[in-house]
Amino acid sequence: MSLLPTMFGGLRSLFRKQRVEKELDDELRGFLDMAAEEKMKQGMSRKEALRSVRLERGSLEVSREIVHTSGWESFVETCWQDLRVASRTLLKSPGFTVVAVLTLALGIGTNSAIFSVVDAILLRPLPYPEPDRLVRVWESSVKYDSPRNVVNPLNFLDWHDHAQSFESTAAISSLTTNLSRNGQLIAVQGMQVTTEFFSVLRVPPFLGRTFNSSDGIAGQDHSVILSYKLWRHQFGEDRTIIGQKIDVDGLPCEVIGIMPENFSFPKINAEVWTPLPLARTEEWRGGRFLVVAARLKPGVSIDQARQDMLRVADFTAKARPEYDKNWSASVYPMLGDATRGVSRPLWVLLASVGFLLLIACANVANLLLIRGTCRGREMAVRSALGAARSRIIQQLFVESLLLSATGMLVGLIFAHLGLRGLLALIPQSAPLPRSEPISIDGRVLLFTFFASLLTAILFGLVPALRISRVDLQNALKQGTLRGGGVGGHQTLRRCFVVAEVFLALLLSVGAGLMLRSFARLVAVDPGFNRQHLLTMHIWTAPSRYGDDLKRSQYFGRILSEIRNTPGVQSVGSTHFLPLTERVSGSCFSPADKPAPTPAESPTSQFLIISAGYFPAMGTAIQVGRDFEEHDNFSSPHVAIVNQAFVNHFFPGQNILGKQLQVCWKFKEPVEIVGIVSDARQAHLEDAPEPTIFLSNSQVPMYFATIVVRAAGDPDQIARSVEAAIHDVDPDQAVSDIKTMEAVFSDSVSSPRFQAILLLVFAGLAVTLAMIGVYGVVSYSVSERTHEIGIRVALGAASRDVVRLVLQEALILAGIAVCLGLAGSLALSRVLQKLLFEVTPTDPTTLASVCCAILIVSALAAILPARRAMRVDPMVALRYE
Amino acid sequence: MPEKPGDLVQGTLDMLILKTLAVQPMHGYGVAVRLEQMSQGVFRLNAGSLFVAFQRLQRAGLIKSEWKSTENSRRAKYYALTDQGRKRLNSEKREWGKQVAAIARILEAS
Repeated sequence: MSLLPTMFGGLRSLFRKQRVEKELDDELRGFLDMAAEEKMKQGMSRKEALRSVRLERGSLEVSREIVHTSGWESFVETCWQDLRVASRTLLKSPGFTVVAVLTLALGIGTNSAIFSVVDAILLRPLPYPEPDRLVRVWESSVKYDSPRNVVNPLNFLDWHDHAQSFESTAAISSLTTNLSRNGQLIAVQGMQVTTEFFSVLRVPPFLGRTFNSSDGIAGQDHSVILSYKLWRHQFGEDRTIIGQKIDVDGLPCEVIGIMPENFSFPKINAEVWTPLPLARTEEWRGGRFLVVAARLKPGVSIDQARQDMLRVADFTAKARPEYDKNWSASVYPMLGDATRGVSRPLWVLLASVGFLLLIACANVANLLLIRGTCRGREMAVRSALGAARSRIIQQLFVESLLLSATGMLVGLIFAHLGLRGLLALIPQSAPLPRSEPISIDGRVLLFTFFASLLTAILFGLVPALRISRVDLQNALKQGTLRGGGVGGHQTLRRCFVVAEVFLALLLSVGAGLMLRSFARLVAVDPGFNRQHLLTMHIWTAPSRYGDDLKRSQYFGRILSEIRNTPGVQSVGSTHFLPLTERVSGSCFSPADKPAPTPAESPTSQFLIISAGYFPAMGTAIQVGRDFEEHDNFSSPHVAIVNQAFVNHFFPGQNILGKQLQVCWKFKEPVEIVGIVSDARQAHLEDAPEPTIFLSNSQVPMYFATIVVRAAGDPDQIARSVEAAIHDVDPDQAVSDIKTMEAVFSDSVSSPRFQAILLLVFAGLAVTLAMIGVYGVVSYSVSERTHEIGIRVALGAASRDVVRLVLQEALILAGIAVCLGLAGSLALSRVLQKLLFEVTPTDPTTLASVCCAILIVSALAAILPARRAMRVDPMVALRYE
Repeated sequence: MPEKPGDLVQGTLDMLILKTLAVQPMHGYGVAVRLEQMSQGVFRLNAGSLFVAFQRLQRAGLIKSEWKSTENSRRAKYYALTDQGRKRLNSEKREWGKQVAAIARILEAS
């Protein structure tokens, strides 16, 4: 049967109800009259004939009802009716309605808020055409068992030329870029990309063009593409900017394009793109620093691409064994790769709010059951008047739907506010891996809608089934307000409460573990003193300080100028600031033995620092000396190593004066002149790595983070330190001016975020669960008033009565705690990876959470217990 | 002997109504009487089932209706087959014939 006419027919009878009904009535009446006339012709009286027709053909009323209920529109009508009844019923008990709606809104709202984050980060496809075909390719080290390493340029060129799985591949190197126009200098995040980058992503520019192959030739690479944001803020949306030249790192570059407003690349929030000219030259042989993105050819699976890359990597390892032996290549889908670090925490959070919603459901189900008990008589009357059980269930379920729909609306307001707070917890400098906006949008609304529907089924169905099971005889006979016949819900309610406390316990254990782990993390001694420390980043342009000697002298002048600034105690610089996730590594070998190939040499982390860095950071030099003034560009090369380096490579040996060959830069060996205490570098949670420190005066980098130890508040001297830098070179851009405290705080923002959210959710869960405990115990006290009265009359002391009530609460909580402990152990594997120096079965956490749950359960039972205590035996007994 | 059309094989009532209307447009009572006569009293329809079927067929576009005067100058709604209804009747007849033959073969097999 075709759908459309059926719908139109139904709609017609819905909206032109009276006319359609009248027509049907006329028709039916005609039918019955004709039948009666037939009978009268055979000699019956009119009255007899009508009666006989009614018997044979059915009465007008019944037939009308049959025809009427046969279409779908009658279902809509009864639903509408039910909805009106439901809203009247709910409005009549505002207390119940408000509590139920708020509980549901809490559950639904938290789910919507967290889902909007999960959706925007993990679920939504990347904002490029055919995002499923986008992958990232890494070098994988067999030796260090690390699958994702940045890529060597020569290897990338080989991949680009020989891999057969990719339509296009691009290499990316991200760095701070100094822009200047009309004398105004700014440092922005930039990406140097090979020219295929934009065709890998398949994003056309908003204005102008993207790179073509000639932009990638060294010497012709003077072009730049700007982000929409930069174009708007710095260039006032000037369309004539295309074709003009701006200064990029001191070189005039032509602006060739503006990217669209929402364009971004996962994890790198770039504002300018410049070409990365790569060529097979000797200087690129060592070193790995590129991120590689690629687009699979249509129909090529990721496994095929992996096989293909293994083949190509085998080729590069054979071509350059001295660098690439034991190195291979790995391919991962781009979305999963970019969100790898955040996916587990986000799923854990979503699961937590899922638990919270379940608890809310159980609570509302309990409320409905209690209400149902009071409505026993109403149900009995309904079914005595002929309502089928299915009809009563429908009516009750419509009530639940109305509750959850209202809960959903209020929940969306909660979600909107909650999401704002949530996003405010994420620091600007430690952003989420994707920069697309997170909001309550269509997808989230759809999720919320289905979540609410599911919620209504979860909390509404069981009570509806239970309440509608009316024993007519008893219910009407007893005639009490309660209406017997529907007792026995208490067991069901207890089950719900046990489930609630169980879930609340799971959440609390999770929150407790996170909190403990966070406390451990921030208590770690990083090996430096983060107080009174100011940091800032500077980046020198190769066009102005391309000469190594000139550059090393420039940095030296900046440091000495800062040292003479009032309020500064000491100053130093490092090429990678600790706790900013950045590391560099190099192979090395003892200079007194023949050097193995780079691929077979041991590797160590290395940092390029200035003299004074250790005193400024507060890291102790244990043996030997710091870099000094006379360790300059022309003097013999020196190095400092840390304790971990000694312990790992030369345990128990005196290595002062030892000569090392460092692959990264030097032809001639460096001499170890000092040993320093260990300090954490990339992440606070990673144990200190063996590290070689080299002097920025001898191997000057193009960028450095300056660390300044202030006598007082480091923020106070920020301006004068910046001024000191500008005294040396007014055109030097300074960026990321932050205290080390802020750097530290940002570096732990992710575990802090998780701990705070889990704590909030656990708090809400425990509150809801305790409302549940209170409800059940309180109800059972009122049910047992009579029994308690008899007990008191027979001499029970109030202590005994209190014990009776508390016992019930504690038994429920006890069962839940046992289940919860088992559950936490079962779930421990999920949390393992998120915890720092805390096992997921940490006995202290488990024990304290269990105790806390038992104590608050007892507290929840205190109010009902007091009521039980005050039961007057005379009143209680007379009541019956 | 099936008394109510609900006892008819599912869907046959629709086919029978279409068949009745294939001869000429008729009002509801006419259809009921005609079905009764043709089935020699086996199918006696009550008003409810008949009009539910009319509503269903009309919404499916198989029949159309029009108010007219009867021979006794009473106003009644006359139902008539649409082209679509005629096609449906033919296809149902063929299908029915096949099924009856098949069932008969099964029942006669020893």
